[in-house]
Amino acid sequence: MDSRPQFRTAAVSTIVATIVAGSFLSRALTSQTLSNQSGTTARIAGAAQAFVSTLDERARAKAVYPTDSAQKTNWSNLPTGIYQRNSLRLGDLNPAQRAAVMKLLATALSAEGYRKVVDIMNGDELLQQRGSAGRGGGGGPRFGLDEYYIAFIGTPSTTAPWMLQFGGHHLAINLTLAGNQASMAPSLPATQPASFTFEGKTVRPLGDENDKAFLLINALDAKQKGQAIIGSRVADLVLGPGQDGKTIQPEGIRASALSAQQQTMLWDIVREWSGIMADAYAEPRFTELKSHLNDTYFAWSGPTTNGSAAYFRIQGPTLVIEYAPQNGVDHIHTIYRDPTNDYGAKIAKR
Amino acid sequence: MTTGRRLRSDRSLKVVFAVAALVASVTNASAHRLDELLQAARIGIDDGRLHLELDLTPGVALSEAIVADIDRNQDRSFSRDEQDAFVGNVLGALLVMADGRALHLSTDSLSFPAVEVLQRGEGFIRIRAEAALLPATAGQHAIFVRNSFRKDVSVYLANALIPQSDRIAVNAQKRDGPQSELTIEYTVAPARIGATSLWMTAMTIVAMILVLKSAAKTYPHLP
Repeated sequence: MDSRPQFRTAAVSTIVATIVAGSFLSRALTSQTLSNQSGTTARIAGAAQAFVSTLDERARAKAVYPTDSAQKTNWSNLPTGIYQRNSLRLGDLNPAQRAAVMKLLATALSAEGYRKVVDIMNGDELLQQRGSAGRGGGGGPRFGLDEYYIAFIGTPSTTAPWMLQFGGHHLAINLTLAGNQASMAPSLPATQPASFTFEGKTVRPLGDENDKAFLLINALDAKQKGQAIIGSRVADLVLGPGQDGKTIQPEGIRASALSAQQQTMLWDIVREWSGIMADAYAEPRFTELKSHLNDTYFAWSGPTTNGSAAYFRIQGPTLVIEYAPQNGVDHIHTIYRDPTNDYGAKIAKR
Repeated sequence: MTTGRRLRSDRSLKVVFAVAALVASVTNASAHRLDELLQAARIGIDDGRLHLELDLTPGVALSEAIVADIDRNQDRSFSRDEQDAFVGNVLGALLVMADGRALHLSTDSLSFPAVEVLQRGEGFIRIRAEAALLPATAGQHAIFVRNSFRKDVSVYLANALIPQSDRIAVNAQKRDGPQSELTIEYTVAPARIGATSLWMTAMTIVAMILVLKSAAKTYPHLP
């Protein structure tokens, strides 16, 4: 008896079954992802609404702005006293309200992202303790935990677009939510000091970013380094505060010219920024960033020995990350942008 | 010393002390750029136009000197004439060349912060300028920019923007160490003849042939 027809039938059945199962699995995963995102948005909106409900009318006016408000772009790396943020100051809140703000941040960010934000704020508190600038008065710059500000651009919602804006000296988190979509661009995690002792432990708010980048540049061979290294000093962020809507020509080595291991190292650096927002949003964002491998670049300026001050940039069609040390290694500025989706421009339209 | 001079002198001293106090308070606790002028230039290349964006951010220790450069009549405000004069000085210190030919920059727009904002070390001056480029011929081209404004106190950033035209592609950016000089090497692709243009050209040729044939029949004696 010829067994070929039976084999053919079995093979076709297997292929069809695999396709159908794959399709169901894919749909189930997509559905699960969307469900996670919607659930996260609901939790963030709930935490935001809980905080807003504790505010009196005057405080609410400083915290909640219309969706078209210019407050959206009112953020900076500079401290109070040099830069006026206008929004609601943590130092003007009672302990329960401050706790509600931190609970909101813990809900809106990943565990690692929240840790980074708290470390940056603790570094600034140390500046305040070490420094001479007046706290709560005078004309000079002011530092410390009291000098962080919160605002909502639009009303916290599970469906309509709105933005959570939190920041102060060396920190700007601009998280736009629109239903089950989110964008954390532009955001500015920076730090000074870059390393300090807090509760007996050494804290380096942006230490992983620094170390992973040095690992990658030193994993490149001479030819790759020649492509990656820019032969001039980059003094500061090119696309820092006030530079919305600009797209500079990418430079450096194309990610597609890196080995698989080097690419993994590159994405590991990217995750330090894209992973600041809650995991439910960070994962799809990361998948999207990886889909632009051929058009993503890594550029470096400065020495390649860890412990030196070196600038680097990772740029793709939907990504700009810059890391710019200021006059040494103890003061770091960084920026994270999505040229297509800063302030949620893309997701707010949907 | 006249009373007027003494008053000006007292005022200057007060300003110096105020700036010194502010710098001291900033220096003690933070290391933001204090005594440098950050000049960030972005250059866009378009079909027939060069666009220059230049942001000047003076550190707080320099802000009074920059304010004095702009506010020539010392009335603590920047009039349009004073702004234009300052921008003229800045653009005058820029050399911009296209394929070796010097370009004339004209101001497109400018924005200045209030005097007190600049004094706090917060604001920046933004200049937008343009220059005409020769019609883009297909092939390799180069733009050279040299910024010599206040070289004694400046740090620079210089970058090409991604061209809006898909005919233009930036191939390389070459800078000197401090980025006060930037050469942008770019390629202009040949102009593509669109399907509509081809169709129109073909129709015109057919029409001309028909007209000539008709003319030949009507006037057979014509050569």
